Amino acid sequence: MKLGRLSVAAGLAATALALTSCSSTATTAPQAAADSEARVVVANFRAPVSNWALESDDAYVLSIAGCLETLTKYDQGTKQIEPMLATSWKQTSDTVWEFELRKNVTFQDGTAFDAKAVAASLNHVLEATAPARAVNPKTIKQVDAVDADTVRVTTPAADPLLPYRMASVNAGVLSPAAYTKTGIDPMNHCTGPFAPVSEKAGQSLTLDRNENYWDGEVKLAGGEIRYITEGATRATQVQTGEADISMSIPATSLATLEADDQVSVLKADSPRTSTLYLNNSRAPFDNVDLRKAATMALDLPAMAASVYEGAAQPATGPFAPSEPWANPDLAVPQVNIEEAKKLVEASGYQQDKPLEIIAITERAEFAGVAAIIQEQFKQIGLQANVVTKSYGAVEPDVLAGKYDMILSQRNRMIDIADPIGFLQADYTCQGGYNLSHYCNKDYDKLIDQALAEKDQTKRHDLYRQAGDILAEDAANVWLVNEQAIDGVGSKVQGYVQDPLTRYVMTKDLAKTK
Amino acid sequence: MSPLATVLRRVIGLGAAVLLSSFAVFLVPFVSPGDPVRNLLRARMDFGEADEATVQAYAEQFGLHDPMLVQFGRWLGRFATGDMGLSHISGTPVADQVVPAIGVTLSLAGSALLLAIIVAVVLGVVSATRAGRWPDRLITSATHALIAIPEYALAPLLVLLFAVRWSLLPSAGYDSPASLVLPVLILALRPISFFTVAVRSGVLQALGSEHVLAARARGLSRTQALTRHVVPHGLLPLWTMVGVWFAGLLGGSVIVEVIFAIPGMGRLIFDAITDADIPVAQGGVVVVVTCAVLVTGIIDLVHKLSDPTVRIGVRHG
Repeated sequence: MKLGRLSVAAGLAATALALTSCSSTATTAPQAAADSEARVVVANFRAPVSNWALESDDAYVLSIAGCLETLTKYDQGTKQIEPMLATSWKQTSDTVWEFELRKNVTFQDGTAFDAKAVAASLNHVLEATAPARAVNPKTIKQVDAVDADTVRVTTPAADPLLPYRMASVNAGVLSPAAYTKTGIDPMNHCTGPFAPVSEKAGQSLTLDRNENYWDGEVKLAGGEIRYITEGATRATQVQTGEADISMSIPATSLATLEADDQVSVLKADSPRTSTLYLNNSRAPFDNVDLRKAATMALDLPAMAASVYEGAAQPATGPFAPSEPWANPDLAVPQVNIEEAKKLVEASGYQQDKPLEIIAITERAEFAGVAAIIQEQFKQIGLQANVVTKSYGAVEPDVLAGKYDMILSQRNRMIDIADPIGFLQADYTCQGGYNLSHYCNKDYDKLIDQALAEKDQTKRHDLYRQAGDILAEDAANVWLVNEQAIDGVGSKVQGYVQDPLTRYVMTKDLAKTK
Repeated sequence: MSPLATVLRRVIGLGAAVLLSSFAVFLVPFVSPGDPVRNLLRARMDFGEADEATVQAYAEQFGLHDPMLVQFGRWLGRFATGDMGLSHISGTPVADQVVPAIGVTLSLAGSALLLAIIVAVVLGVVSATRAGRWPDRLITSATHALIAIPEYALAPLLVLLFAVRWSLLPSAGYDSPASLVLPVLILALRPISFFTVAVRSGVLQALGSEHVLAARARGLSRTQALTRHVVPHGLLPLWTMVGVWFAGLLGGSVIVEVIFAIPGMGRLIFDAITDADIPVAQGGVVVVVTCAVLVTGIIDLVHKLSDPTVRIGVRHG
C-alpha cells in the first residue's frame, strides 16, 4: 500500500515536472511596448462585505485596487519597512512615535493630504466596535496631528513594531470626504495610483488612472477588480483572457495553467502553513515523545506532491525557509517509522479508543490530508478517525482544549510583515489563539524579549530561537508551506507578486496591445 | 368559494409562510454548533482570532445577547413597518442587498424556465406523438441522462468548451446578455428533463382521451386535434411543475451563482447563513418565499384559465 501510494505521488510529481519543463521552454517574444490606454482586469478572491470598513478585510480590496495607501510600506524585495505616505519616522520616547508626512500629496478628490486626515482615518479604525489587529486600542492609544506634516502615535507600551503596523492595509488613509453617515465611500477618495469610480455591487470595482499621483506617471489607464470567490473560475478567467491577473489559484487548477503558454504562473512562499495541531494540554499529546512520533510518521514530501499537486512545499518547521527569521539548518523531517514506533512505546501511551483528526471543511484538501495522516499513523500503531466539520462549529471545543488533533492553517504575518503576533497569540501560555494549548516558560521569555527588542536583526534571532523551541518540543506537526500562486496573462508587464496580497495595481503595472 | 375568500386564503397562507420561514432561518445560529458572533467577525476579518471583549462588544452592538424571542420580536416589529433591518456584517440595510439580488435571480430563473418550457413542449409533443418509436426513445433517454447530471459537473464542462476552447461566451460575471447564456442553459437543463417527461405524459394521456377521439370523429385533422385539444390538455401538468421549479430556483441556484460569480439570491442567502448574518438571511428567505407564493398563485390562475373544462363550464353557466 505504501509503495503504491508513493508510486502515485512520484507519478504526479513527474507529471508536474514535465509540465513545468514545457512551460519553461516556451520562447519569449521581444517585449512589446506598453499601451498607455490599456486597462487590466484582476480576478480577486475576496469580495468586500463590510461596507468598505477599513478595519475589515475590505481594506485589502482597496489596497489591491491601487487606491488605498498607508504611511509605510513593506517591501517584499528588501524585507524592510519603506516610506510611502510618510517619508521618515522616529521613536521620540518609549511610547511615542512621530511620522513626517510626504509633502505635495493630494487625495484623488483634490483635497490636500495632511496630518489631520491621517489622524482621522486611524482614529476611525481605533473606534470601531471590532477594530483591526494592527490598529487597535491595545496597540495604539492615540493618534494626533502635531502640525500639518507630522503625525504623533502614542502606544500603551513600548512598541518597536509600530512602523510595521502603519504598513497594514487597515492603517490606510482616506480623504475626510470618504467618511459619510452611511459608511465609507472610497470612490475618488484615496491617494493611490488608481481611483475607484464605480462599483457593481457584489461583482466588481472599476478604476481609472489617478492623473495627479504623487509618485509620478501611472502606466495603465485603469482597470477592474472582479470579486470572484471561486478559485477554479479565477483560473478559467485568466485562461480565457477575461482576466489579466488571477490571484490565489487553487492547487487543482495549477497543472492546467502551467500547460497554457498564454499564462505565466507565479509562485512565492506565502506566510501560511498547513498544520496538524496537536492538543498539548491533555493526554495523549501532552507527551513530547508521542508528538515527535507523529512528526516522524508523516511523509511530508509525498503529501505536498499528491494532495497539493505542487502548490505547496513540505514544511521544515513553524516558519517558511525563505523567511528572514527561519533557521536555515532545519530540514524537512524525515520519515522514520522504526524510530517513531520506539517513541510511541516510550510515551507509554496505551490506546483504548481511536484518536480523532478534525479536518475543517473550509479547506477542501484537508480531507485528503487527513486520510493520508490516518493511514500513516496506522503504521506506528496509532488508530485515528477523521471527522470533517466547519471551523466555526468546532472552534469552541478547540479553544477550550477538548480535541485531539485538528488540521488548520495560520497566517504568520497576520496584518504586519512580522510574525510576533502569531508567535504570541498562537504559542505563548496566555496566547488568545493558542490552539495547541502549548505552554513553555522559556519560550514565553524569548517572546517577551522580542516584543521589546528594537534592533531588527536581534529580534529576528529571537524569533529563530523561539521557533527552535517549538520545533524541538514538536508543539505541532507543520505539514506544508502553502504557496501564493497567481496566474498572469502574457500581455501584462511590471507585475510583482505580493504574497501578502496588498499591492497589485501599482503605477508600474502595464499591458501591451 | 367566492373570489374574495380565495384571495384572503392566499394572503393568510403567504403571511404564515413568511412567518414560519423567517423564524426557521432565525433559529439557525441557535441550533448550530459554534459561536455565531465569531462567525460574523470572521466574515469581516479572515483571520480567526478575536478576543472575548471584542466578541462581547460586537454582540452588544446588534443586541445578540437578548433572549431569542425578544430578538425575533424586534425583527418582526421592524419587518411589519417594511424595515428588514441591518446586516450584522456590513451594517448596511438588508434591503440594499436583497433587492438587487432578487432581481438578478428572477432574471436568471425566469430565463431558464422560459427556455425550459419552450424546449420541453417541443420535445414532449414530439415524443408523445411518436410514442414507442426512435424519436421517443432518443428523447426519453436524453432527458433521463440530463436528470442525473448535477450542475457542478456540467458547468465546468460547458465553460471549458464555450469559454475556454471556443471563446464564444464569457466564463463568469453578470454584465451582458452573453454572460447569462451559460448559467441559464445550465439551470434550464434539469427542468427541461422534468418538464419533457410531464408534457409527454400529459399529451399521451390527452391523445387517448374521449374528447380527442370525438373531435377526430367530427372530422378534425390530426394537426388540428393536436393544437386545439391535445396540447392544451396535455400541458396542464406542466404549469404546476413550473411553479414548483421556479420556487426552487429562486433560492437553489447557489452552485451556478458561485461558479459564474453571479450576485444572486441563492448565493446571498447561503453566505448569510454560513456567516450567521441572520437579518440578511431572513430578508432573503422572506423575499424568496413571497416571490414563490406569488408565482405559484399566478400559475394557479393561469392553470384555471387554461383549463378547457372551466371555460366550457363558464359558457354553459
